[in-house]
Amino acid sequence: MIKEYSGIAPKSDLLLIQKLCDKLKGKSFVHVNSTREGGGVAEILHRMIPFLQEQGIDARWDVIEGDADFFDFTKKTHNALQGNREKFTKPMWDHYYEVNRRNRRNVDLKADCVLIHDPQPAPLIDFRPKSGRGRNNIWMWRCHIDISNPMPSLWSQLKKHVVKYDTAIFSVPKFAKSLPINEFIVTPSIDPLSDKNRDLSDEEIHAVGEKFNIPRDKKLILQVSRFDKFKDPIGVINAYKIVKKYNDCALILAGSPATDDPEGEAILNEVKEYAGNDPDIIILLLPPDNHKEINALQRMSDVILQKSIKEGFGLTVSEAMWKEKPVIGGAVGGIPLQIVHGVTGFVVYSPEGAAFRIRQYLNDPVMARTMGQQGKEFVRNNFLLTRQIRDYLAVWYCSANKGKHMIEL
Amino acid sequence: MTDSVQPFEFNQCVSILKSTGSRAKNLVEMRRAISRIDEESIFHHVHQYFLKGHMLEYTNDFSQWAGESLEQRALAERLSCIDPYTFKTIDAVRNEIIREIDDFLSCSPEPGDVVKGNEFYFNQTVSLIFPVGVKTKNLAEFLVAIQHIDSGSIYYHFYDSRVRLGEGIVDDFSRWIEHTLFRKEIADRIRAIDPFMHSIESIRHHISEILEEYVRADMEGVVQ
Repeated sequence: MIKEYSGIAPKSDLLLIQKLCDKLKGKSFVHVNSTREGGGVAEILHRMIPFLQEQGIDARWDVIEGDADFFDFTKKTHNALQGNREKFTKPMWDHYYEVNRRNRRNVDLKADCVLIHDPQPAPLIDFRPKSGRGRNNIWMWRCHIDISNPMPSLWSQLKKHVVKYDTAIFSVPKFAKSLPINEFIVTPSIDPLSDKNRDLSDEEIHAVGEKFNIPRDKKLILQVSRFDKFKDPIGVINAYKIVKKYNDCALILAGSPATDDPEGEAILNEVKEYAGNDPDIIILLLPPDNHKEINALQRMSDVILQKSIKEGFGLTVSEAMWKEKPVIGGAVGGIPLQIVHGVTGFVVYSPEGAAFRIRQYLNDPVMARTMGQQGKEFVRNNFLLTRQIRDYLAVWYCSANKGKHMIEL
Repeated sequence: MTDSVQPFEFNQCVSILKSTGSRAKNLVEMRRAISRIDEESIFHHVHQYFLKGHMLEYTNDFSQWAGESLEQRALAERLSCIDPYTFKTIDAVRNEIIREIDDFLSCSPEPGDVVKGNEFYFNQTVSLIFPVGVKTKNLAEFLVAIQHIDSGSIYYHFYDSRVRLGEGIVDDFSRWIEHTLFRKEIADRIRAIDPFMHSIESIRHHISEILEEYVRADMEGVVQ
């Protein structure tokens, strides 16, 4: 698999992966999460596990099992870590712990490195071997959630588990907490070989344009996101309306219905109503597995927006940049890490700001092309799957060599 | 003859980011944190700024934050002028930053808090150094390597070496060219490239241009 990335990912990332795998050859590396399908974590693990196995690492992926009460509780913890107020009771916490205790037999706790993803399996650390094989292994907790502003009582409970790990890993520096353990920053990544990001032929792009009746004779502005108020679809329409006064263009809002969000349908109806009968505003509701269609829509667009007002990491920005598209994003979550303002795109704070930058791109195709090219190189160097694999291996190796700031391989 | 030449071996530096858990939302908090934070964090925010690969408005993370988030351009300009390679230790760099902040605070009103979300987060790195398997023995080979080597290699040999060798303006490239190839004139021209005013790609371009000129002259038999 590593050969598939040769010529796409930076050579140094592939070289470092090989060097680290030589050092860690034959050792076991277990990832633990709570779902085999759905979500960015599962998507990445499906690719990462065989990749590591091919490099001589005994990589495995264990999934903990829980009942409806458990997942209801963990959904609430997810929301509370993102700042929502939720109610938690002692029986809920006890059940959470009990489900983890039962799952200890389904997970290889003696592996040389155990990487626990997100809060659901966090209490497994209590069952780390205290003697024999596995007592000196490395335990890492990987938090994929924005916990920069968590519900304080929830975080103080969860923190009791987190501080028992050797290392915590966060996606963005501002998500990290003040903890007495090693804290590394590993940003998420996109897979350049997936259907969502691979190169498409002109025929494939054309077919998707036909399928959705996209007017190819106009400049296209696109935002791909769930219909959710935090993605600010109304703000995007406002920006489009300003641009439309000066430059002929069409707006595509493409996304999946937010099935787990009771407000999702209301937002979608509001967006449709706000768009009115403008034939150049195209609202596409796509199933979550329509990766190739999204890829084609991105490739046929002239400007791509992610005008969020609240965001986790916002990887759709990197997906657009990988296709050499000029991008505009809200200054929230991980978006400013991907958009270096004025270098790989523009960061904006209002619909008016978004409109201004769209007009700049539409009127200066040379600048748009340069930004797009710089964006692609920035993603190549920072946000590809191979960099994330490199980082996980490096964090494991650094955790085993704790205290060193420079390591020669 | 070339067999006796000590080859230039290209290494690569990859830095893995660590959080210190410290943050600052205003200049007073920033000053307090800088005075206490690990040396590795100062090193990361000042010396490793060039690892970003692109030029922003200022020349280190502290000045960038002072200018863009705190919106204190005068302070940003002063912090930007600190040349870390002229100091013998990281602590000396730290003291110079604190001196500039104190100086600024003594004659300007204390700036307020930054907008929420724009706080400064103190990070540090663990650097992994490894050979990339490229060795060169003469100027022509060296030119080809410079043109194609990963940017992390250029950072390691052009920027990181200034701290490693402790000689400020001397980098690995010019050192090898002077002491192994005995081409002091080329070494001097590489040392004349202002490290603060270029992205890594631009450094690559400038070094290539200089080398190309001499390689072409060597091939045409022009005596330099």
